[in-house]
Amino acid sequence: MLRITGGKVYDPANKIDGQIKDLNIDADGKFSDGQCDSRTIDATGMIVMPGGVDVHTHVAGGAINFARAMTPEDHRRTQAFIRTKTRRSGLGGMAPTTFATGYLYAGMGWTTVNEAAVPVLSARHTHEELADIPIVDKSTLTLMANNEIMLDQMEAGEYERARDVVAWYIWAAKSYGVKAVNPGGVAAWKWGGDARNLSSPIEGYNKLTPGTIVTQLARICDDLGLPHPMHLHCNDLGAPGNIKTTLDTLKHLEGSRAHIAHSQYHAYGGDGWETICSATAELAEYFNSHPNITTDAGAVIFGDTVTITADGPWQHLLYKLTGRKWGNLDVENETGCGIVPYTYRPSNLVNAVQWACGLELLLLIQSPWQVFLSTDHPNGGCFWRYPEIIKLLMSRDFRDECIKKLPSNIKNKIVLPEIAREYTLMDVATSMSAGPARALGLKQKGNLGTGCDGDVVIYDQEDDPGEMFAHPRYVIKAGEVIIDDGEIREAPDGREYIAKPFYDPATNDFMRPLFEDCYTMQFENYPVEIERVHGASIHDCKNDQDS
Amino acid sequence: MGGKVTCTLGEVKQRADFIIYWGGNPAECHPRHFSKYTLMQKSKFLPKGRKDRTMVLVDIRETKSVKASDIFLQVRPGKDFELITILRALVKEQQVTDEQIEETGLSREALNDLVSRMKAAKFGCMFFGMGLSMTRGKHMNSAALLTLAAEMNAFTKFVAMPMRGHGNVTGADVIMRWQTGFPFGISFNRGYPRYNPGEFSTIDVLVRGDCDAAFIIGADPGGTMPQPAINHLKRIPTIVLDPHITHTSKLARVHITTAAQGIAAPGTAYRMDEIPMPLKPALKSPYPSDEEVVRRINEAIAKKPFWLPEGSMPQMVTEQV
Ligand SMILES: [Zn+2]
Repeated sequence: MLRITGGKVYDPANKIDGQIKDLNIDADGKFSDGQCDSRTIDATGMIVMPGGVDVHTHVAGGAINFARAMTPEDHRRTQAFIRTKTRRSGLGGMAPTTFATGYLYAGMGWTTVNEAAVPVLSARHTHEELADIPIVDKSTLTLMANNEIMLDQMEAGEYERARDVVAWYIWAAKSYGVKAVNPGGVAAWKWGGDARNLSSPIEGYNKLTPGTIVTQLARICDDLGLPHPMHLHCNDLGAPGNIKTTLDTLKHLEGSRAHIAHSQYHAYGGDGWETICSATAELAEYFNSHPNITTDAGAVIFGDTVTITADGPWQHLLYKLTGRKWGNLDVENETGCGIVPYTYRPSNLVNAVQWACGLELLLLIQSPWQVFLSTDHPNGGCFWRYPEIIKLLMSRDFRDECIKKLPSNIKNKIVLPEIAREYTLMDVATSMSAGPARALGLKQKGNLGTGCDGDVVIYDQEDDPGEMFAHPRYVIKAGEVIIDDGEIREAPDGREYIAKPFYDPATNDFMRPLFEDCYTMQFENYPVEIERVHGASIHDCKNDQDS
Repeated sequence: MGGKVTCTLGEVKQRADFIIYWGGNPAECHPRHFSKYTLMQKSKFLPKGRKDRTMVLVDIRETKSVKASDIFLQVRPGKDFELITILRALVKEQQVTDEQIEETGLSREALNDLVSRMKAAKFGCMFFGMGLSMTRGKHMNSAALLTLAAEMNAFTKFVAMPMRGHGNVTGADVIMRWQTGFPFGISFNRGYPRYNPGEFSTIDVLVRGDCDAAFIIGADPGGTMPQPAINHLKRIPTIVLDPHITHTSKLARVHITTAAQGIAAPGTAYRMDEIPMPLKPALKSPYPSDEEVVRRINEAIAKKPFWLPEGSMPQMVTEQV
């Protein structure tokens, strides 16, 4: 179907580091050994990588749609996509519309995205929105760590029940895995409180602590054989001195797999906004000695954005700090979310520390198989600005230039100026594609080997990596040429990955009465029907319960 | 400043021990609201149900909802914004003059009592109805109330939520937002979405006579819109999809009878708190669903020549307005 010849290939999963290699994609859109040349792209002198994989982003669902409603003024000064025969219209900006989201990701060479926060109650909505995001393949994570039905089981010491409840929710939401946000803290927020200490009982409970939730939920994800481990947004996000909480949280994970979301927001020293400083060296050291744990940077880029997280307490803090608009949405029984427009400024000391922390983690964690490119879109910055981060990682000179614009009193607060490391193209390919694909358990992604999905991005080699990564020459999705000579040509629908973990069938009967007590929706109406998920691809989980 | 601090209805049912209805008459307009969500339900946190909850009603006149309330505050017509502003000040213990309070038709004692009850609540919820959002200064009023709710969070948990009208208005709003970034009042005439409520809203477009065809689903503007708008609908080819004969279908050039959504056709409707509910049809219908009709019209249009000349590729535009 498609043949790509003569390109310099960077395929970390197969340890190919810039060698010239031809690639063939068959009629099923997968890499094959045989030659199939209905069309040949001559990639001589070009850079070839597997399509990008975003392990943590917010592109669909109630929260981002809430953000779209809160930022009409942004839509007016933003990139507009005009309708063409193969393309629907839309708007870019801080919270791009669905069609534009697909075009912007693909236009940058990303072909898979993981929507990292879906409340089960509005999962139906999220799937409908995802169906309107073209080109890229998608997966979703269900918000679990503050689900009261599950917390009650943990409080009662019913581990197996809690595990069945988690599995039931994943399948009801047709999601791919578990996201834990500020365990216990969001549940406490519903009474206006927070949970900042891992070992004190959560408000409303006698014994249950955030630490127990972290340990048990990570074990549940492993026991259920989910392709992606627990995806954890630690407690105490964004607060000076939160490195203590983060390291404490990591200790509760010993022995389990886990992915730590946007660790930049969890790597601060100091004890107040005046004394805040980077504590990335300590955090990076932990990752360097614990290869079973992965993370994404959650890097910050200077400029306007809108922040949305399921972390209600943090958003309230941000609102108090900025005095700007504040949106908050608490979802019954499960979770909540907050929305605040925000501008990161280089002249602001706190923002400058955050900016440095994201880059420091990407550079100080030695293995790019453990730390991935992300901005926690749109929280730290918009995803379509990833190429700027790649440039910062690849060029120390460019970093030094940017550091000069920071306040002078930042000197002893960050370590970035001392870091000499520069990303190689192999590092970039690992951090933007092969690494996140492996962490997500998507074996067919981020890999140019035979049998894997034919998702490829091809760049003209340029001196400025920012330019090079922002404007790929070709983007190929499942063997189909999407970006051809820099222009969007096709916009096919992507797939959605869903996990189907095992649970005791009696869980239905157990859930029904609790459900009717907690929710305002009929039990039968709650699970999303599989027919409602467009392009569903079901991943059966290996059941590890006996081993 | 401002924003929106809200929750889903299940949170209200579970936790709200203090409920304010502002400018609405739920007893008559949303008859199941009290029993399903706000007043009558017992929960883990509010085991005594109605006895554990306090309900305040703010309105310009006495309605049937007064009987259900614990406290009724009759605000002078057109003074909602002033009253909200005074409450915001009292909450923050700022000075308010007697004249300012008098203007609203309420007493200082009543307002002080309200503020202390709001602060003493564990979980407060304000619902604002058409009475607030449709009167003078409508956007200002609801924005001010949302801000009051946001500011209350310095003292205790507080949220606010609009009481929406009938039909799946919320669903249309939600989908338009994810596809275009805007809830309504959108023009596509430049090939990409632009938003300007006073200019692109249906009524404005019709009254100005700017459109040369109308396609209407799930609405009956012929019964509610101003006469000049209706006159224009009569002038142009108007196509209506509706299970019933309506004012609009009578003036339309084409009326396609469709299956009733939720009764004979499946789908999704969004609740006022934007939670999607699946519609499961109880009956079979000989008529096609709205969705099927639209899909077939789309397929037919796709066979026509495209609006851009063959082979041309418009550039993306970056616009400063
Ligand atoms: Zn996130």
